[in-house]
Amino acid sequence: MGLALAISGLAVSGRDSRTLLAVPDLEVAPGSCVAVKGPSGAGKSTFLFACAGLAGTASGSIVWGDTDILALGIQKRAAFRRSAIGLVFQDFLLFEELSALANAALPGAFAPAGAQKAMRLRAASVLERLGIAPLGARTVESFSGGERQRVAIARALASDPDVILADEPTASLDRKAADALVDDLVRLARTDGKTLVAVSHDSAVHERADRVIEIIDGQIASDTTYA
Amino acid sequence: MLDPVFMVWDGLPVAAQDALLFVLLLLPAVLVGLLVVLGFRPMTLVRAMMWRFKWTNLLFIALIAVSVGIGVGLIAQERGLRQGTARAADKFDLVVSAPGSEITMLFAAVYLQPSDVPLLTGAQYNAIANAENVALAAPIAFGDSYRSAPVVGTTADFVLHMTDELADGRLFEVHTDAVIGANVALALGDRFSPAHGVAGAADDSAHAHFEYEVVGRMQPTGSPWDKAILVPVEAVWEVHGLPNGHAPDDAGRIGPPFLAEQFPGTPAVLVRAEELWANYALRSQFTTDETMAFFPGAVLASLHGLMGDVREVMSVMAIVTQVLVTAGVLAGLVILTRLFARRLALLRALGAPRRFVFSVIWSYASVLIGSGAVLGIVVGLAATEAISRIVTARTDILVRSSLGWPELHLVAAFVSVTVVLALTPAFIALSRPVVTDLRG
Repeated sequence: MGLALAISGLAVSGRDSRTLLAVPDLEVAPGSCVAVKGPSGAGKSTFLFACAGLAGTASGSIVWGDTDILALGIQKRAAFRRSAIGLVFQDFLLFEELSALANAALPGAFAPAGAQKAMRLRAASVLERLGIAPLGARTVESFSGGERQRVAIARALASDPDVILADEPTASLDRKAADALVDDLVRLARTDGKTLVAVSHDSAVHERADRVIEIIDGQIASDTTYA
Repeated sequence: MLDPVFMVWDGLPVAAQDALLFVLLLLPAVLVGLLVVLGFRPMTLVRAMMWRFKWTNLLFIALIAVSVGIGVGLIAQERGLRQGTARAADKFDLVVSAPGSEITMLFAAVYLQPSDVPLLTGAQYNAIANAENVALAAPIAFGDSYRSAPVVGTTADFVLHMTDELADGRLFEVHTDAVIGANVALALGDRFSPAHGVAGAADDSAHAHFEYEVVGRMQPTGSPWDKAILVPVEAVWEVHGLPNGHAPDDAGRIGPPFLAEQFPGTPAVLVRAEELWANYALRSQFTTDETMAFFPGAVLASLHGLMGDVREVMSVMAIVTQVLVTAGVLAGLVILTRLFARRLALLRALGAPRRFVFSVIWSYASVLIGSGAVLGIVVGLAATEAISRIVTARTDILVRSSLGWPELHLVAAFVSVTVVLALTPAFIALSRPVVTDLRG
């Protein structure tokens, strides 16, 4: 089951101490599917990175389950991400020279020795569920955008995290590929009970979400929950 | 406190000392590697990084290889030259000549680079030949050549001393017989007239009336004598219109004894004593106002000492070059890690421990350095082999290229220093902000 998110008094500052994002209070139910929208530069990605514990200067609290990620040191934050959070990026961020399976199983490279095999099996299983298992042995440099993003999703799920954070997952895809990918991403998240937070301009993502949060100028401007 | 250690060290065979020193020099690299990589398997990602910018990586490896190759080649070449020149002089125990420059005589008598030198008289030659414990006293006579091969007059005993046994044919028995060195482009039975002089100054027609016949071929000696044509010393004298060392009624004789009054003179006498110790007594005996006696090996050792000083200077230059290249490589690694910044940021975003990311960067740098070092050994040896062939072709001194412990020590030290320094770009890469790098 996915983790609940509770944010309180979050303020993320830039290098010039300007506040990039301020979220006084926000709660997300475990296993829900949340879309975050807003204009470019509004602070959506900053919100996502803050939720992953990657924002440089953040104050307040971001509690996943019962873990305040901002209260953790660098090493423990990394360990938490490793076990609880899967990340998907706009431009995939794959190792072009590695096979689809090696990319999907990448978290296994730094997992404890005993968990590496399980992660590889899980990565292969997710590739199967995403319909690209036959491409598993091929290097990803020849893949289409949709195939690459599926590999990235498989990588995010390889460690069986409770949370998936996706940053513009469809932005590099054409409409058809984007629709198919949203279908897959949401289906996997719901089937496995993951908490999905997806930053996206894409209305297809918004339509599939349980809840849409709009961020404008670093503030939550609207928060709509659908039945 | 360290005395027992030094005692044990001194008691070890030289090969064991060299092997241990190699291990000790490489130890920092191994220890750092174990500390950094232990518990992780970064090589999959390192391979991907190597492939990602393969041309840039190859350039770095080539840069390191050239740097290491210079050091390796320098040391191997110097040793090859030293051993080659020493081997070429091996058969020459003692040389007696008129007073002058030992080095000039060394080059003339041993390496067949003749120059105008005063001659020893027949009386002086006989004094040497008849001295106690002299087993061999061979006069030599230079000045003629055939197709750039020097024609050297000497005795049959000296030929046997040089070659132990002939590769083919027989020793000379009459004045017109010639025994050729292993690399002379003539065959048994070939006849030729010597040219007066050597190289560009040779006059082909001066001795056209005289003809030698090749009757034997020497075994290879690895010295300039492999390209020499050895003839009876009497023939050289006769060709130049001089007495031939024997009484007119015994003019067909070859080899000692020689009549002092019929002896035209020789630039040097190559002496071999019956016992090794006797060489020292002979050197003392013939170090006089009229004669100079010297051990070619000792003169060569002095020259090698001089070469050693040059080698040290060049070694310092090679090390400075390597230090500069190392600095360049490290600066390049910092730049390369920037090229990989998004990938490294991705690893950190996915939750990779800092040590894992560190091990990926360090392993990547170490693969570049290690590959460059190994390739550098190959480059150095290849360069040494090529230069050795050229030197051998030009001087007929057999110079062999080989890989020795000093080169391995140099490479081990280079690898250790650079891989330890490679920790720096790894630290720098880890200090970069993750989100900034993720955004590219």
